[in-house]
Amino acid sequence: MNNPRALVLSGDGINCASETAHGLELAGFSAVVSHSSDLLANPSELAGASLLALPGGFSFGDEIASGKVLAVKIRHKMLELLHQYIDKGGLVLGICNGFQTLVQLGLLPNSDKRDVPTVSLRHNASGKFINRWVEMSVNQNTPFLNSLQTISLPIRHGEGRIQMKPDASADEIAFVQNQTALTYNLDVNGSFERIAALTNAKGNVFGLMPHPEAFVRHSQHPAYQAYKHAAADRKAENTIVCFENKFADGLVILKNARFSLN
Amino acid sequence: MAIKIAVLVSGRGSNLEAILESIQKNELAAEVVAVLSNNPDSYALKIARKHNLPVVAVDHRGTSRKEHEKLVLQALKPFAPDYLVLAGYMRILSGDFLSHFKDGDGYFKVINIHPSLLPAFPGKSAYEDAFNYGVRISGITIHLVDEQVDHGPILAQAIFERQADDTLESFQARGLAVEHKLFPQVLKQIADAGLASLIDLENEVIEVSEVIDVKSTHGDLVEEAICVAVVPKNLAAAGEPIEMPLYWLNTKGAAGAATDLKLLATLKEVLADSLLEDVLCVATQDRQQWVKQWQELGFKWFAERQYLPGVTDNLARTVEEALKLSGLTTTVTVASGSAHLFNGDMNIKEVDTFCRYRHYHPVTDKFRIHDLRMPFPPVLLEFPAVHLPTTPEPEVIALDLSDSQMENLSRERTLALNLNEMHAIRKYFEQKEVVALRAQENLSPWPSDVELEVIAQTWSEHCKHKIFNAIIHDKMAHVKESTMTMSMAGTISGKPVQATERTITSLYKSYVQAATKELASKRSDLLSVFVDNAGVIKWNEDWGICFKVETHNSPSALEPYGGALTGILGVNRDILGTGLGAKPICNTDVFCFAYPASDLPNRPTMLPATSIIQGVRKGVQDGGNKSGIPTVNGAVYFNAGYRAKPLVFCGTGGILPLKVAGLCGYEKHTVDGDSIVMVGGRVGKDGIHGATFSSEALNVDSPMSAVQIGDPFTQKRVTDFILEARDAGLISGITDNGAGGLSSSVGEMAQITGGATLEVDSIPLKYPGLADYEIVISESQERMTLSSTKIEQLQELAAKHNVELTVVGTFNKSGFFRVTRSGKTVGLLDLEFLHNGAPRLELESHWQAPVTIDKIDQPPKDLGAALLNLLSHPNICSREPVIRQYDHEVQGGSVVKPLMGREQTAPCDAAVIQPILGDAAGLVVSNGLCPQLSDFDSHLMALCAVDEAVRNAVCVGADPSSLALLDNFCWPDPVASPTNTDGKRKLGQLVQACEGLYQAVLAYNAPLISGKDSMKNDFDDGAIRISIPPTLLISAIGKVPDIEQVVTMEFKASGDHIFLVSAGALGLAATTYAESMQWTSSILPELNLVGAAAAYQIIFAAMQKNLVQSCHDLSEGGLAVAVSECIIGSGLGADLNAEAIVTAAESGARFHDLLRERLDFALFGEGPARMLITVSPKNLAAWQSLWQANNSLGVSEISVIEIGKVTGFGVLKLLQSKKKNEIINLGVITLKQAWQATLPFEEDFHE
Repeated sequence: MNNPRALVLSGDGINCASETAHGLELAGFSAVVSHSSDLLANPSELAGASLLALPGGFSFGDEIASGKVLAVKIRHKMLELLHQYIDKGGLVLGICNGFQTLVQLGLLPNSDKRDVPTVSLRHNASGKFINRWVEMSVNQNTPFLNSLQTISLPIRHGEGRIQMKPDASADEIAFVQNQTALTYNLDVNGSFERIAALTNAKGNVFGLMPHPEAFVRHSQHPAYQAYKHAAADRKAENTIVCFENKFADGLVILKNARFSLN
Repeated sequence: MAIKIAVLVSGRGSNLEAILESIQKNELAAEVVAVLSNNPDSYALKIARKHNLPVVAVDHRGTSRKEHEKLVLQALKPFAPDYLVLAGYMRILSGDFLSHFKDGDGYFKVINIHPSLLPAFPGKSAYEDAFNYGVRISGITIHLVDEQVDHGPILAQAIFERQADDTLESFQARGLAVEHKLFPQVLKQIADAGLASLIDLENEVIEVSEVIDVKSTHGDLVEEAICVAVVPKNLAAAGEPIEMPLYWLNTKGAAGAATDLKLLATLKEVLADSLLEDVLCVATQDRQQWVKQWQELGFKWFAERQYLPGVTDNLARTVEEALKLSGLTTTVTVASGSAHLFNGDMNIKEVDTFCRYRHYHPVTDKFRIHDLRMPFPPVLLEFPAVHLPTTPEPEVIALDLSDSQMENLSRERTLALNLNEMHAIRKYFEQKEVVALRAQENLSPWPSDVELEVIAQTWSEHCKHKIFNAIIHDKMAHVKESTMTMSMAGTISGKPVQATERTITSLYKSYVQAATKELASKRSDLLSVFVDNAGVIKWNEDWGICFKVETHNSPSALEPYGGALTGILGVNRDILGTGLGAKPICNTDVFCFAYPASDLPNRPTMLPATSIIQGVRKGVQDGGNKSGIPTVNGAVYFNAGYRAKPLVFCGTGGILPLKVAGLCGYEKHTVDGDSIVMVGGRVGKDGIHGATFSSEALNVDSPMSAVQIGDPFTQKRVTDFILEARDAGLISGITDNGAGGLSSSVGEMAQITGGATLEVDSIPLKYPGLADYEIVISESQERMTLSSTKIEQLQELAAKHNVELTVVGTFNKSGFFRVTRSGKTVGLLDLEFLHNGAPRLELESHWQAPVTIDKIDQPPKDLGAALLNLLSHPNICSREPVIRQYDHEVQGGSVVKPLMGREQTAPCDAAVIQPILGDAAGLVVSNGLCPQLSDFDSHLMALCAVDEAVRNAVCVGADPSSLALLDNFCWPDPVASPTNTDGKRKLGQLVQACEGLYQAVLAYNAPLISGKDSMKNDFDDGAIRISIPPTLLISAIGKVPDIEQVVTMEFKASGDHIFLVSAGALGLAATTYAESMQWTSSILPELNLVGAAAAYQIIFAAMQKNLVQSCHDLSEGGLAVAVSECIIGSGLGADLNAEAIVTAAESGARFHDLLRERLDFALFGEGPARMLITVSPKNLAAWQSLWQANNSLGVSEISVIEIGKVTGFGVLKLLQSKKKNEIINLGVITLKQAWQATLPFEEDFHE
């Protein structure tokens, strides 16, 4: 059986294409890493894909604002095709810098209101880049998050603070709350309503600041050793029992995407 | 208190009026104690009388100058003025007169106003002269008076612009308005903050001291320019200070660009966040509108920053690309900067102090502060265009010079060549064959600047490691057992031996390379050592791992951000340039800083200690994060000796395929006829003389062109391109452009084929006007040099990645390195001479063990308090604030991170990553560094550094027989000279360290695969000399066979047994504990190499059998700190047995009697080869039998003692079992608070 095709954008300072492709392969996709220049030269490639991943990194060095210039590049070359792809139900996953790009493109939280932004991703309240693992609560409003409730993933960003439009109406605020897919359990970056991820109304466009591709193997978790020994402790026999890779939260998200295609 | 001023006038006295008005309005806290005029009819005296001020008229007519001055002095004396204020006083004052008003700093407290921008237009008719000259900008200068006319330290300048329709009268009126505003303001500044506050501003790039610069950029380019500010939507409500992006755009003559709606829409899309920001876009000359707006909003100060011309501006390049991507067809050149608005009550000096190093760095940025309350429009910054008028012709440098002329030549051109080397160069050019060849080639008999500079770069200490290859006559007054005859069974015993003398032919060959050679038969995995940009070891059947650590110390001292950023990007390129190209997979960074404290030395040319730390940290952050390379491991070490020169070690590991398109991947395959291809950034004046400059001590003349900012984004593109080109088989050889630029990269690769021709006119430049020698030696960043024949395919691939690629010459087998311009040879050097012609240094070293007197008091009463004190010591406390800002997980291979455990607070001893996703094997990266021992015993220091790196790797599960090491020596200048009087001792320390290194490498069976040295880590500005402590960083890589078997350091389960494993003796000298107690001690730790090597093997075996729950090395702060960290990392606790701890401490082979029965010493003493290991009760028997089974490995040399048990409560308890006494009882929260309190620095919060 042919696995569904996932297009993973690369080049121009995107850093996480390889591990994103690796995670998607583990989840049952056939992942193709495609340089943004190649994809823009051949935008019809998109039509043959079931998932488009915009991975994390520092596209265009994060100059001006993160995701800004990559969004400019996409907007002027293939935004129309991207809209068609989304309208047909194609999956889009934006991770970290990819999420920032989707917001810059006006595809999140509302992919119907073409390019009219309601939120912005700004510098963390601390003004600093943060790499740490965080716990999040799940709002199951996208197939990517099916069956999940609380998840752990690492954040690695300097500009992950969701800021609401200054003069937002109650309706607009309610809409953003509704489209919130993940909420940090602790306030890690000053994000509006502790938002970590957004999805569109249909749930097929999903953008998140934390990195699901960084938790597809149990030993990527910082407390893995602690849990492993605690688990071993509980067992009387002299064997080491540990949580299995298949329960790694990031992999579950990617697998959910795969299952949603069945 | 108000200052007392006497005003001296000759004329109308309008400035006197302005001053009096300011006093009346209570703006100026001054008292005019007298008004004196040399003209009894002066209108000024009338004004004074009107104000009821004492009036003095001393007519000068009919008296000599001397007599007149005497009268003036007598007249002023009763009024005792603090300052004389000359407000249009038309008399020249003599030095004698002035000396009566001298202040403590040697300045004369006499202030003059002059209506021009001095030094332009001095004299009586300044307005007229300036007007007739046709200046477009003039101004007012207020200065202190000295013996010369219209001369002396400038206190303030303000400018005004000449309008097109100005007459002399209107021009003068404009100037007078400025005079009347400026003079009271300057006096106010003196009254409020003292004279010094103004004098300090002399020569600084603020306010209007750059008028000359503005004039020169008033060319045709800038007149078509527009300026863009990105402002918050509600500026008035945005608070302050406000920082806004600012751009200068040069639209190359597009008329009316500022009002072009399409351009404006594009700028909005590209530059602003449409939710939150607006774009202001005006023609440059209309920017005064902004100033007015901001004035009206009540802002008091407006400051603008831009890069100095020629400094890498990554943001601007990206904006240009984004404008193109958005479909804009006009070509736009961009310069980026920032605008800052303040409404606080600050003077100009305070604004500057606030912004310096926070918002700008004087080495890379232009910064101008404007007072928005001034009545005249400020002169704003213009587009920072580089103006290099004409391309200099190559110069011929005659070498028929005297020795002192030769030395001068070397110094003036920053060649860093010594006299011997200059002689060797002269000799080469005097050779008959060379003379004949040069005549035939139509070249001057003496070298061109191109040739001399290429030789200097190639022969630099940085590139050739002259000290490590020198012949050394070594004298020792007190030595350890000779290491040359040392067998594996021996231990170091510190036995005093008679003074000996010997000659070492080369430290590199005798120790560094020799150790690896001796191990080569045991290690089949050493694929490429000491020959390439990085050492390469075999990882598995398909892949090799390479590893390299570099330093970037001198650049980081001058401009820490750029220095550190280019440091990390530079070592990334070393990896990219290894074999046929390797992919960087992890970074490791070690910083040595001075901890900011008030008693650190400060000199004008040194940056603030905190700025160095902040800049370096940020530089490495951007270098690693933006490149997508995880920063997995590192260290920060503080010592006051690093005040002037921080050490910035940047290391990178990489992975490369063993086979590339049928060729061996870890070798280069360049052949005769291959093109020389330059990829990446363009060449500019940045980074000229980096190699030779790092080979000298830092001083006031250190070239600022050696400073550069890196561009991680461009380098990431280059990296992506190269890896794809490699896999497509398009590359036959590759190296990076680092120190020495093309001269080094092409010069080195030319050795493969035996020659190269570099066509200097084909090399793409950032801007025209560079001399040929500058092009050849420039260290402009982000460039790689390739050899290839498949140019078309390379070009196609480069276009896809948006990378610039140029053929710049050919590799051949001519035997020469030839440089041509337009087909004509401008440089021709024999390769053999270039690479092997440098005469070897011959040096003397003399090492003598220092004498330290023991001064140790009774132990502190509260050992718990002593522990908390140590936990918050800068060298022990948590590095979390630094770690969190580095991405340590990108690329998906993370296994052991810098901080692990449930709370992510467990500080791990080494990093483990999975280099091949999905493959079981893990790569371990660790480091060891013990400079605190150097001044006691640098031999021991080297042993301990190796041990620390090895031990850290073993702690996380590395197979000790898989380890490979790098050595990085950073030394104070070890070459004796009149300014470096103890050079022999420093060289002696280096010899000692090399011996220690050799010995440890053999004992641990851990070969050195690459290394680097930086030998001139001194600061000398003539007033003070600061040398770093001799520092050796050992970096280790190794393998964990299966990442499932890694071990982390935090305690795992209540009830586990805690063991202290050690192979050596504790010391007190150079410990953090001794330092914190202000004790001095000569008692050094000892390392039992045989025991330690055996212990590490057994521990690895135990880990493979899953017998080890946790494992942590003991380092600064000793046992108590290590246990505390295991508790902080886990939230569990420990019950420790005091008697067992003392027993364990005293089990070392040569334990010092002075320290017997000292629990404090057992807790806080430091020594190598000590590890804390926990074992689950169910594995206890297996653990113990493992040690017994390995008896033959030297177990008798190892002490394994149980010192307590892990408990379920987060409490550290130290119990004396006999007395049932609780000596320490500290909860995990208390421990954690102490450990996390010290970093970050206060300034961190302002970022």
